[in-house]
Amino acid sequence: MRIGLLSAAHLHVDAYVANLRAAGAEVVGLTDDDPGRGRAWCTAHGVPWVDSTDELLSRDLDGVVVCSETAAHRRDVEGVAAAGLGVLCEKPLATTEDDAKALVAACERAGVPLLTAFPMRYSPPMREVADLLGAGVLGEVQAAMGTNQGELPMRHRAWFVEPTRSGGGALMDHVVHLADVLRWYLDDEVVEVYAATNRLLHAPTVTVETGGVVLLTFASGVFASIDCSWSKPDVYPTWGGLRLDLVASEGVVGVDAFAQRLTVHGGSDGPLAWPEWGSDANQGLIDDFVGVLREERPPAVTGHDGLAATRVALAAARSAELGTPVALDPAP
Amino acid sequence: MRIGIVGAGSMGTVHAEGWAATDAELVAVCAEPGEAPTELAARHGARACATLEELLDLVDVVDVCAPTDLHHDLTLAAAAAGRHVICEKPLARTSAQARAMITACRDAGVQLHVGHVVRFFPEYALAKHTVDRGAIGVPAVLRFTRASYAPKGRDDDWFADPARSGGLLLDLMIHDLDQARWLAGPVTRVLARSRATLRPGSGPDHCLAVLTHEQGAITHVEASWAYPAPVFRTRFEVAGTTGVLDHDSDRDAPVRTIMAPTEDLADVPIPGSPMAESPYTTELRHFLAVLRGQTEPVVRAEDGLAALLMAEAAERSLHGGRVESVAPLEVPA
Repeated sequence: MRIGLLSAAHLHVDAYVANLRAAGAEVVGLTDDDPGRGRAWCTAHGVPWVDSTDELLSRDLDGVVVCSETAAHRRDVEGVAAAGLGVLCEKPLATTEDDAKALVAACERAGVPLLTAFPMRYSPPMREVADLLGAGVLGEVQAAMGTNQGELPMRHRAWFVEPTRSGGGALMDHVVHLADVLRWYLDDEVVEVYAATNRLLHAPTVTVETGGVVLLTFASGVFASIDCSWSKPDVYPTWGGLRLDLVASEGVVGVDAFAQRLTVHGGSDGPLAWPEWGSDANQGLIDDFVGVLREERPPAVTGHDGLAATRVALAAARSAELGTPVALDPAP
Repeated sequence: MRIGIVGAGSMGTVHAEGWAATDAELVAVCAEPGEAPTELAARHGARACATLEELLDLVDVVDVCAPTDLHHDLTLAAAAAGRHVICEKPLARTSAQARAMITACRDAGVQLHVGHVVRFFPEYALAKHTVDRGAIGVPAVLRFTRASYAPKGRDDDWFADPARSGGLLLDLMIHDLDQARWLAGPVTRVLARSRATLRPGSGPDHCLAVLTHEQGAITHVEASWAYPAPVFRTRFEVAGTTGVLDHDSDRDAPVRTIMAPTEDLADVPIPGSPMAESPYTTELRHFLAVLRGQTEPVVRAEDGLAALLMAEAAERSLHGGRVESVAPLEVPA
């Protein structure tokens, strides 16, 4: 499998390059709107630099991973689809619903697979909960409480806090993962979204919201909350985390996707470190992408899933602006 | 200081044990009219009174541990008799009753205290102290969870009757509504959602609320009676501008037992971590010091009213589905 990388804007590309190599794929090259950033990244990761997207797409590729700024996803995915190549696109899919719909439609027209980068679909702890729910041992889910909190991401990439490029702040960054997990677990669509946001954390540094609590209501009446705040301090032992508690008719289940870790006090890692020993969910995502390209089978998570989660995040942003719950048409 | 407890159920029993650890004197106990609670009284060497009037004649302070819908009438009777009142939370079944109680006690020149006992739980008290000394900056995003199994129905089942107890919001969520306000200031807006997961028709047993505070903070509150026994889980997290603190009763439990399943559960789940002194005792000892003029109250009756106003806004939101404003805390001058 010959894979190209479109942009080093999103920090996940750092992980994907190792995941691609581990999956036996050849990382053919990377191009970037910002040649300085791209060239430096290529040097650091031993990947060939390519001068333009056209040139990259002409190199007999099987697929492309799009890690550009969210606002550039539509242009990039449409370009890859036009070249007849499969795409793995970083989340969220786009900064507007029109863009998200357009890039999904472009892949459908071209007949190429589109995966949205929702690695939680491949996380073994998250999958175990899906299996429990599927087996029916917990009965019917009634409500869910989730957190996907993190550090201020600008420490890694400054564009995350520039709304013209990222589409917003903590809401755009962190609502989509749990929105997707909940759609997956409940096999249901969100019909109403409420979001309360603020900018008390990192207030002098950024213009976007840094705190957010979102309440989703599904068609079945089940409701779920998502705390998407950038509320982990810079000294937190890791980037953040993802947890979900589900209350069901026959019991409750809680999952912490990143609980599988050691606790290390002192030494060269600092006062407190949490090296992870759990399976790498990004590897599952990349393995699926490579498998889809190789075997022409459907992926575990699609562009449609990315579109649905993006619509939830955008509705949350509208709700925060209006100060009221907003309705979401489940089948646009 | 002579104390009389009204109500001999779960809370009356806990308070009686609390008073026993202070230098106040528990002299009288009464419960349902005509049914003197002889067992509880005998255990503490107090008189089992058949009527409220009998109890009022014997005491300086009335400790109201009766069902929520009786708080108002009992408090007004105590105030009319010139007795100080310590009242279990929620202060009353409605905010209108709570206002009337505050006014009546003030006019009678007696003190009124509300048992928002969570303020005396050491993990919550320490969190408040930590926030107040500026250790994590200004609170920005707060989370609270209070989740247990459903309280079992008792004699007249007042607890399971939302018309009498106020249900999940007034009985359970009110603790964390008070905590949210204590830590991050007044709340202006509330959106809440609930489900009746276990006993459809008996009122919500799982509720989430999103609060917006006057000073900009936002708070997520989960209150639930929908967890399997014997769970009583409390969690909180306060994300401030310079740091984050959190507590998780599962994670932070110093003693863990795993028992074979049994039906032998308390009627009403009461949380707690092993401590030298029960938080209920700490609370009652504090009220005693306030009654003696030795210290300023950690929690005022007005805080109990404010918590009710928040719970009532959440209740309106449950029914209407909209964001509701919290009515202003106007205590009659």
